[in-house]
Amino acid sequence: MRASFVFSEVVTGLRRNVTMTVAMIITTAISLGLLGGGLLIVRLIDKMSEIYYDRVEVAVFLTEDVSTNDVTCTQEPCIDLRRDLESTPGVESVVLETREQAYERFKQIFEAQPELVELARPQALPASFRVKLADPERFPVIEQEFSGQPGVLSVKDQGTFLERLFELLNGIRNATFAIALVQALAAVLLISNTIQISAYTRRTEVGIMRLVGATRWYTQLPFLIEALVAGVIGAIAAVVGLVIAKFAFLDRILAAPIEANIIPRLGLLDVAFVSPILLLVAIGISAVTGYVTLRLYVRL
Amino acid sequence: MIRLDEVSKVYKTSTRPALDRVSVEVDKGEFVFLIGPSGSGKSTFLRLLLREDVPTRGNVFVHDWNVAKLPRRKVPQLRQRIGCVFQDFRLLVNKTVAENIAFALEVIGKPAHTIRKVVPEVLELVGLEGKADRMPHELSGGEQQRVAIARAFVNRPLLLMADEPTGNLDPDTSQDIMLLLERINRTGTTVLMATHDHSIVDSMRRRVVELNLGQVIRDESRGVYGVGR
Repeated sequence: MRASFVFSEVVTGLRRNVTMTVAMIITTAISLGLLGGGLLIVRLIDKMSEIYYDRVEVAVFLTEDVSTNDVTCTQEPCIDLRRDLESTPGVESVVLETREQAYERFKQIFEAQPELVELARPQALPASFRVKLADPERFPVIEQEFSGQPGVLSVKDQGTFLERLFELLNGIRNATFAIALVQALAAVLLISNTIQISAYTRRTEVGIMRLVGATRWYTQLPFLIEALVAGVIGAIAAVVGLVIAKFAFLDRILAAPIEANIIPRLGLLDVAFVSPILLLVAIGISAVTGYVTLRLYVRL
Repeated sequence: MIRLDEVSKVYKTSTRPALDRVSVEVDKGEFVFLIGPSGSGKSTFLRLLLREDVPTRGNVFVHDWNVAKLPRRKVPQLRQRIGCVFQDFRLLVNKTVAENIAFALEVIGKPAHTIRKVVPEVLELVGLEGKADRMPHELSGGEQQRVAIARAFVNRPLLLMADEPTGNLDPDTSQDIMLLLERINRTGTTVLMATHDHSIVDSMRRRVVELNLGQVIRDESRGVYGVGR
């Protein structure tokens, strides 16, 4: 196989169909960019679960009475509650958070909104037991056992909030994948169409090649490589797009939550992790589409 | 060299067979005219030899190949040993004369040094030594057909098939092309030429196979175009 010949055929082909080639690259890039975005969200979700599942606690809020009068938890019913919680199977640790501590934490969380801190008083916040569970799924048991007990105001699972957050993220991920899929379909059709046009504009060459006994590979390879080159350029464009989106968009919009460690930072490393996947998908899609098109629609 | 055994070809779109139980044998080194009116089956005949089509019935042999039963991946090997020339030249308009000829070798994977050697040789054979770098549109019709013949011959085929090679040329130029085909035939290459050109067939006095409505109606070793017509 003469590489120089195949190469020059590919360059000619891409140049001759420049508008279709550009359309093909753009569509592929958008599709892959969305796929990459979806994959980045998957990584974000993974990272978030790591951060949060460590922190997930069940909060057993204490009544006004206990919060005010038994700050150190040395009296009934607080002391009983603590003992019961500690002896419940699956409970890892029980920490008392007093009203003052709750207020400190409140101030810290809402640092950015001083007017809110201004309004809040320690008296408005209940004391609580911060209960860490070995298995966060065990929350219903704790809730059942302790709500309504004397001295208990309410039992809250921070996990429910997280679940909603994760549901939202999963939804965004699915939507991204869905759009990526539709775009991928468009990309596949464009690749197929471009190859057909390319084969048509070069029908004289292809006819002569067939006639003088060029093998199937020789006749088809230039078209396949054309599709591959466009696919790879599309993948590179998608990666560049993701990097730009990260710096110009994500980092800026999410600056505050990232600083507060609510959302983990997506680094260039994450983009680097996703890039080879995009490249492989691009190569796979264009190769398969090219091959099938040549087989089905183009008589070579 | 070529043998057709009771070959029939029926196209799906037609009720009448394009070829109807045709049996023809051509020896190595022969020069054969294939004549007959349009629709008589000449083109089908050539297509079957090239494996552009497979016969509905019967067997086609070219050299050592049973063409009709040749697996797809072996078809290129067959075609590499058959040169083809057409009425419309079929040159690549964006390539020079030399590039057009080299193309036929490049696409079958011949090494560059071979191509550099044989292209000038074949250009000399067809009488176009000085025109290697011309573009096809700068050449006359006869010269373009010479380029096409050079391309068909450059890989030294066993069989050269020409489908109305003089159809677009004036009589004098046609004579020159026939001289060239004759010269190629003298190198031992079998030549099979489909034509309508009475004067050429009559002047060459070579074997004539006449087809009509898909059947061989005449096969003469030193024939003319129309007997008694």
